[in-house]
Amino acid sequence: MPPEIAVTVRLFASLREAAGTDRLEMSVPRATPVGALWSHLPEEIAGEDPPAGLRYAVNHEWTIPGAPLEDGDEVAFVLPVSGG
Amino acid sequence: MTGLTEAPLELGPLMAHVADPEHGGLATFLGMVRREQGKREVVAIVYEAYEELALAELAAVCEEAGARFGARVAAVHRTGRVEVGEPSVAAAASAPHRPAAFAACRFVIDELKVRAPIWKLMVYADGASAWLDGREARPVPAAGTRGASAL
Repeated sequence: MPPEIAVTVRLFASLREAAGTDRLEMSVPRATPVGALWSHLPEEIAGEDPPAGLRYAVNHEWTIPGAPLEDGDEVAFVLPVSGG
Repeated sequence: MTGLTEAPLELGPLMAHVADPEHGGLATFLGMVRREQGKREVVAIVYEAYEELALAELAAVCEEAGARFGARVAAVHRTGRVEVGEPSVAAAASAPHRPAAFAACRFVIDELKVRAPIWKLMVYADGASAWLDGREARPVPAAGTRGASAL
């Protein structure tokens, strides 16, 4: 079994702008919790703490930070929204 | 009927969708881009959606409103740039009587604002812009305008 899994990360709003892309392909250890993925992001983003109120979606469904990632998962960092 | 669109919003199609011969009340709501004069003047808002999840939340909110109030409900949100005075979100709800129609319409708009992952880039009259997404504001002043940011 390969030690690493491939996940796609979707970025929006100021995160997308900071990263210069709306989609990142990342390689992380198997069963990495989605909440730990932030620290694997590129330097421009990973250097700061995750914003308060950050939520996570995996494969277009809300999930908790402790949810373990599987190969091929698509993760979205969902920043707080102010609606309207 | 729920959705996201880059085109200007119109209430007509939403009203037609929720109209029902058994329903005596039909309420509509439009959320408009506000100038906020007196604060930092806004000229437009650019909306960016996490499309798959925003569509799922829109559909879920309308389904919940329908079940809760016995209403027919429709809601559409804008993406892209919306100028001041233009609508950014539209909702319509019909029910046998007006209290349920008003309640369903309000439920939809209130829930949408909290649940749908749709972010706002505020575009200001001084040429700067800033995302309202909970990260530290990094406004980008246009060249030759003001230096210090008000954010």
